Amino acid sequence: MPTTKPPAPLEPHWFQILLALADRDLHGLAIMDDVLERTGGRMRLWPGMLYRALGRLADIGLVTEIEPPDDAPIAGGRPRFFRITTAGRRACAAEAERLAGFVAVARRKKLLRA
Amino acid sequence: MPRPSSAFVRLLLRAYPRHLRVRERDALEAACIACLARERARLGRLGVPYAWGRLIADTITAAILLRVDERRRRRLAWHHSQHSAPKEILMTRIWQDVKYAARLLQRAPLFSLVVIATLAVTIGATTAVFTVVNGVLLRALPYRDPTRLVLLQEAIGEMGPWGFSAPDYLAFEARAGLFESIAAFRNREYELSGVEPPERVIVTRASATLFETLGVRPALGRPFTREDDESARPVAVLSDALWTRKFARDPAAVGRAILLDRQPFTIVGVMPNGFIFPQRGLLINNVPADVYVPIAFTPSDRRGFGSMYANGVVARLKPGGTVTQANVDTRALVQANAREIYPAALSGLAAAVSGSATPLTDEVIGRSRTLLWVVFAAVGCVLLIACADIASLILARAMAREREIAVRSALGAGRGRLIRQLLAESALLASIGSVLGLLLAVWLSRALVALAPSTLPRLHEIGLDARVLLFTAALTVVTALLCGMLPALELTRPRGSALKDGSRTSTGRRERRIFGTLVAAQLAIAVVLLVGGGLLLRSFSKLMAVDTGFRVERLLTLGISLPAQGYRDAASVRGFYSRLLDDLSQVPGVSAAGASTGLPLGVRDLRVFTIEQESPATRELPHSADPEYVAGRYVEALGIPLKRGRYLGAEDAAASEPVAVINETMARRFWGTSDPIGQRIAWGLESQHGPWMRIVGVVGDVKQGALNTETISQTYVPWMQVSDGMIADNVVGIMRSLRVALRGEVEPTALTDTVRARIRAIDSALPVTSVQTMSEIVKRSTAVPRFNALLVSLFAVLALLLAAIGIAGMLAMSVSRRMPELGIRMALGAQRQTLLAMVIRQGMITAAAGLATGLLSAWLVSRVLSSLLFGISPRDPMTFATVAGLLGVVALVACALPAWSVTRVDPLKALRAE
Repeated sequence: MPTTKPPAPLEPHWFQILLALADRDLHGLAIMDDVLERTGGRMRLWPGMLYRALGRLADIGLVTEIEPPDDAPIAGGRPRFFRITTAGRRACAAEAERLAGFVAVARRKKLLRA
Repeated sequence: MPRPSSAFVRLLLRAYPRHLRVRERDALEAACIACLARERARLGRLGVPYAWGRLIADTITAAILLRVDERRRRRLAWHHSQHSAPKEILMTRIWQDVKYAARLLQRAPLFSLVVIATLAVTIGATTAVFTVVNGVLLRALPYRDPTRLVLLQEAIGEMGPWGFSAPDYLAFEARAGLFESIAAFRNREYELSGVEPPERVIVTRASATLFETLGVRPALGRPFTREDDESARPVAVLSDALWTRKFARDPAAVGRAILLDRQPFTIVGVMPNGFIFPQRGLLINNVPADVYVPIAFTPSDRRGFGSMYANGVVARLKPGGTVTQANVDTRALVQANAREIYPAALSGLAAAVSGSATPLTDEVIGRSRTLLWVVFAAVGCVLLIACADIASLILARAMAREREIAVRSALGAGRGRLIRQLLAESALLASIGSVLGLLLAVWLSRALVALAPSTLPRLHEIGLDARVLLFTAALTVVTALLCGMLPALELTRPRGSALKDGSRTSTGRRERRIFGTLVAAQLAIAVVLLVGGGLLLRSFSKLMAVDTGFRVERLLTLGISLPAQGYRDAASVRGFYSRLLDDLSQVPGVSAAGASTGLPLGVRDLRVFTIEQESPATRELPHSADPEYVAGRYVEALGIPLKRGRYLGAEDAAASEPVAVINETMARRFWGTSDPIGQRIAWGLESQHGPWMRIVGVVGDVKQGALNTETISQTYVPWMQVSDGMIADNVVGIMRSLRVALRGEVEPTALTDTVRARIRAIDSALPVTSVQTMSEIVKRSTAVPRFNALLVSLFAVLALLLAAIGIAGMLAMSVSRRMPELGIRMALGAQRQTLLAMVIRQGMITAAAGLATGLLSAWLVSRVLSSLLFGISPRDPMTFATVAGLLGVVALVACALPAWSVTRVDPLKALRAE
């Protein structure tokens, strides 16, 4: 149950985490790798930061923890898998839109090529 | 690539909250190592210290923030549970309350036991009475859409309502487009044979439309048809009960033959289980049938204008039709028909005939409604009193927990929470009490059914159903609230002095007022019940004191009905009864034997008569009398005293002059002080009367109808002088069904076997019915008032007992709480007697308030009993005074017992307790 509204704009690393989860369920380390890869190494998440972010995102209902798939490693504790919720998808899309708005402005101001 | 030491990483991970660390040790470790590797790959060797520094900073920050998040999460959850608690949390809390309550009750086993037992008994009794109310009054009649069924009746002037006469019914049916469907029915007892052993059964002769009108089809086979009815085919439909009893539910019974009065009838169908018709509670034709056969009116029935208003008529309203309209239409049609079809000689009668339509349900249960609701109200009152008792018990007990509650409240428990906790206790008690009560109710309702007068309708339909369970559930909730709400509200009332010490020296005014009100209310309710019970008891004793007019003791009665098969003509019927009465009067121990068409305390009939050369003074009186056709020495056997002239005797044979004996009431009414002996009367109107009968004797009045009915004019006419045609008549069969009365010199039950043997000797196949002593008949005729008086008085006594316990309990507690105060008073020189008087006065003031309120309420509501009372007014001063006196004495005793402990107060001990 969402207990607070997601802040708008979303924090950049929240946005990236949601983006990572947009098309599949992932566990923490996989999210980290995905973000790193997608941002070309520019956004480097640290474990504490990542797990706290995931906890907060779950608190406000943007992601939800799911049962780990059967093939997930068992030794040393089963990692938590996360799935984006409808609210998370909506928040992520809103943030992308907002950013796209800035991109459009940049284009109008001829900072970018059309 | 040398791997960074995972031992360091693991050490670092210990900073994380435990739940995360345990679940994701490997994942976290892998993530940390991946980060270190990533930084080293990015920054080279120089990156290693940076990476470690960064990892340590990240871990510590996260470890702190994760804990902050966790606390906030918990706070939010708590906040939610307080304000808009999710159901699961609320349930958990309620469960906690219940567990806590259970622990408390476990610690006070005696208290719990007393309360649970009281609740079980009162809830059980209330549920049992409700089961009866539900089965009789609330459940729909077992027919399709029973609200659309009406009973049609005829009346003549002020007399009636009765059923329809055959020609009236046929004329009505032919034109009754008013109804969707209409059917006539008439009950008769038949001898059933062909399936061993022979027995007397109730047969309902009914129109072919009966089952269609009621909307019930046979479970097996078919109903009889219009053709069956019109051509008087001997076909029969059995009731489920008879089918079970005689054929062991064998489906092959359909198609087999049974003998009714030794005539074969083919079974064509069996009605479903639960189908009961006619219902008890109707005025006539009110015994459920074992067998249904076509009514098949005979030609003489069809010509029977102005006689035998004995056919019940049930009709189904058209969709959308109302009872009011049906009633108006029925009256109009009956009147129009009578004017049209009655012979000219009966034009006076035709003008007086009218009809009515009333809901069938009202006709069946209407006469039982007051009776049952009064009993229900009585038992409800007992429950209320018990609740008040329990409320004061809980309150008293909880006052001892005042400090605990104050502490809990000081520690932040809200008032709602505290109330819920206290209510959990009474809810737990009420629930246990209800479950036990429900078990008790199953047994009690059976006892009630066994005890109930057999004339009460629908007794067989009484049983537990969803509505009863729902009622008990609702009762549990109400009881829990009644018992627990007051203590809960009172104890959690915001004040805040309870934590202060020394607040126990005297019971507060408020507290005393609350207990006082509870006790006064109990007493008031008890008074109302006592008055009700007292009125019913007094009415019952008046009824029992009514002079029946005959000697009840040592009188054996039995019924015989001669079937047409074997007793076809009048001579054979006369022969049988003459021989029977001769034989029976020879039986040693029998001092007189006679027979009659009807016994006292049964149904009373009315027949119009004419007086020869009547004085003008009495011409305006209604000329109707109850006719009894008697054989043998019936009047002597009953012990009816002779006032003038002679009894009927053997000399009054068929060929001699027609004679009659009349009762005192009739003699006084029509002849005043002059002598009626030698005068002549005749049945029928002046214009068209039967043969004159000479009055040869006057005998004492007898209650021919119920005990509570007025004595009417009665005539005893020799059965031997009834015309051959009437005696041989088998359709109505009144003259061939006689009730035999035997006056014994010994206890009549000792004669039964000999009497049966004598009857068997004359006709071995003839069943003998209703063998009972006159005392049994008297007892049965008083069954309704007995039932009423018994139950209401029982509940009244229970109420008185509970109220007495209430008042004694209140005083005992008050005394024990005032002990220090009393000690001080005594130390200061107060006399023990003074203190005793003070305590008793406190109790008696409460009692007086309760008594006054109760008497006033009883005065106001006792009128609802008037229809159940006989011979006394619902405001009978004697009853009110007795109740007031009784209650005064009980209250005094109840006050004196606890007050007595005052005299044993040791002032030193009392003061030391302070």
